Amino acid sequence: MSENLFVTGVGGQGTITLCNLIAEHASDHGFRTSFFQSRGMAHRGGRVTGEIRIAENEDESFGPRISQDGADILIGMEIAELINSYSYLKEGGIVIIVNYSYIPSEVILKKKEFPSLQQAVELFSKKTKQIYSAVEQVNPVNLFTLGLFSAVKSSFKVESDIFSCISLEKTIMNKMKRNKEENIKAFRLGYEYGKKTKEIF
Amino acid sequence: MKRMISGNQAVAFAALEAGIELASGYPGTPSTEALTEICNFSKINDPSPYVEWSTNEKVAFEIAAGAAWAGKRALVTMKMSGANVALDSIVSVAYSGTIGGLVIYMADDPGAEAGMPEQDSRYFALLAGLPLLDPSSPGRAFHLTKYAFKLSEAVELPVILRAVTSVAHTKEIVEADYRYHPLARKPEFKRDILRFTKAGSAICVDQHKTLLDRLKLSKDVMHTHKINQIHLNGGNEKRGLCVISSGVLNHDVDEILSSRPGISSLKLEAIYPLDEDNITGVLKNSEGIVIFEELEPVVEMLVRSLASGLNWKGRIIGKLDGVLPRTGRYSSKEILKGINELEGNERQEEVGTKTQTYKHPITFCAGCPHRGTYVALNRVLKRLKLKKEETVVTGDIGCTILGMNPPIDSCWTEVSMGSSIGLAQGLALSGLKAPVIATIGDSTFFHAGIPPLINAAQHNSDILVIILDNGWTSMTGFQINPGTEEMLQGGNNRRVDIEKIVRAIGVDYLEIIDPFKQEDSVEAISKAIQAGGVRVIIAKRECALTALRREGREIKFRIYHEKCTFCRSCMRETGCPALEVKTIRDKQVMSIDADQCTGCGLCATCCSFGAINPADQSGQGA
Ligand code: SF4
Ligand code: SF4
Repeated sequence: MSENLFVTGVGGQGTITLCNLIAEHASDHGFRTSFFQSRGMAHRGGRVTGEIRIAENEDESFGPRISQDGADILIGMEIAELINSYSYLKEGGIVIIVNYSYIPSEVILKKKEFPSLQQAVELFSKKTKQIYSAVEQVNPVNLFTLGLFSAVKSSFKVESDIFSCISLEKTIMNKMKRNKEENIKAFRLGYEYGKKTKEIF
Repeated sequence: MKRMISGNQAVAFAALEAGIELASGYPGTPSTEALTEICNFSKINDPSPYVEWSTNEKVAFEIAAGAAWAGKRALVTMKMSGANVALDSIVSVAYSGTIGGLVIYMADDPGAEAGMPEQDSRYFALLAGLPLLDPSSPGRAFHLTKYAFKLSEAVELPVILRAVTSVAHTKEIVEADYRYHPLARKPEFKRDILRFTKAGSAICVDQHKTLLDRLKLSKDVMHTHKINQIHLNGGNEKRGLCVISSGVLNHDVDEILSSRPGISSLKLEAIYPLDEDNITGVLKNSEGIVIFEELEPVVEMLVRSLASGLNWKGRIIGKLDGVLPRTGRYSSKEILKGINELEGNERQEEVGTKTQTYKHPITFCAGCPHRGTYVALNRVLKRLKLKKEETVVTGDIGCTILGMNPPIDSCWTEVSMGSSIGLAQGLALSGLKAPVIATIGDSTFFHAGIPPLINAAQHNSDILVIILDNGWTSMTGFQINPGTEEMLQGGNNRRVDIEKIVRAIGVDYLEIIDPFKQEDSVEAISKAIQAGGVRVIIAKRECALTALRREGREIKFRIYHEKCTFCRSCMRETGCPALEVKTIRDKQVMSIDADQCTGCGLCATCCSFGAINPADQSGQGA
């Protein structure tokens, strides 16, 4: 059995860095981990996704991709892309939402519909009660999100100790070459935020 | 050493370990990082193999083949579309075979996640008569790349190593050294026209026979080395069910079969030539088979023909009977569907509801010079009262195609590298009233835009070709191309000048513009549109991102919100992602995100109220 984590955002948010941190962290802790990254046009505001699969058993065989209804945890750093990833969430899975919308000019000019946090929450409540959302956000948003993730994870799964705040902080210090302080700060704020807003929508 | 690497990196690491002395390729998602990794290695290590980004995939392949004919091990990398370009030479080189190990890395993209055709390059193996390996994971990609070099030398044929996006872009722990073991073979190439030329049908037919013999040998060699994994349950008496899978799906199948111990499996990575013994073994053991492979029924056709030759009476489930799809990427959903069919279970409800809300269009980066060129083009059409819906602008591959998206809405077509110019010529010949304009980037022009421009010049076509020259192959991650500034090329490279090429072709009407100088650009394009014959404009200005990385930002622009009337012309015309809407003292105004703005000044040319100006020292926006 593997735990499947689907992460989505738009280019420029550091989605891939966030996924790399989680994947390398899990792998360094002896879990069999694979991480698929969609990429290509990441710097142009387009959809970016990462699919991480983590298994306790080192020799477990699994494919690199998460299937529909296959994600135990869905992390959305952008509202529209979160909704676009709805089909990946398992029934009863966990959703972590960062309330950020990347609204391109055509939406503003042509007054196109753009989904709100409220709509996202309504949609996801059809599948799960475990929705955690951060109304505020701190930059860099990917580290803030990592903090949220750590808080949510540590709140209900025992075997997921590897994602504890202290242990992830070490990984951040080891793996991130630049702006360590800023990153740790955003991570801690995310963690604090996650601890406080544990209530479920 | 254990390290977390992607499938692409695994190919690079393995090729280094196999002692390649030359690597070449042309960038293209999802294959790019394989050669990037070798470039990075060669920059900081000595000894290191010769590595280059070639002008196109055909050239890249010929360079690798040349080195391999002199006895060296060589790797060439490309995406599936690039394999089409290289195919002409691949088919011919297959007839001659190789001496040093020659591995052709091709990456396919089921599901078109990078947005080009869902082409199945496994067909090239059948077409050219070359062995093909399809690794199931990054770890297997590492192993099979090393193996491919040995196989290539053992059977004297180039070997195709094919990966799909899900392998190329997945990272996992691989036991791999980042080490180079140069073979340092003495180069040697003996003249042998019977092997290396094609003059005369006798020579060709003989070479063809040799090719088929080598292909047969490669089947035996791969069989001996047990590349495919076969697990048969039960025996001849207890006939059962079997799953045959290919490449990346092997692991998804494993996952699902772990709860169905009764089902046998054959997991293929040696796709061509297909191991008939494996298939016969499976057929003898089963009365029902399901075949899982993404895209085309390549394995399925081979299995079906073998089964009918053996007069086998069981059921084969796959694509040809309409059960499994021929499009898209497979996930456990398709595999469950096939296995349910195999077990004769009732059809299950389709799972997974897709919700597509807003889809983010991809746009040019903030400060991208291409935006300036397309904005100028739009201004010209307006000025000359040319209707946008009547003025065809053909687009081409690369960042320039983003001119198809709002608010620019310029490009009408995207086909293949260099096709904008040929298509424009045909459209113009068809007698359309409005002028026909082709737009193409610099790397794409070098790759395949020169022959159609020669053609247009020779036939005196009536087209305007705008070459958007930003000095880099940007879309795939800023590789150098022949036009990149010489200082930035590295090695002994020299710069090749597009202007000189265009002049040498005999195009008399040539203008060079700077897209950041809007007025001049509008003037030049406007004149060019109204002239006749082949006209070329080179819009020259470096890619915003490479310039930024090297030089940083000098100035930024800001919007003085007291002057902003919120007419939104700047956003409407440019769509620059640095422009945003803000509410200041209850008033909506446009604003510029100082983190993104590169100071190109394009938005300022849209503002009739003088609200957009260079920011002061502090760089504060409104
Ligand atoms: S990468 Fe360079 S060329 Fe491509 S859209 Fe961005 S600025 Fe323009
Ligand atoms: S000057 Fe205007 S158009 Fe240019 S990058 Fe800045 S905001 Fe965008």
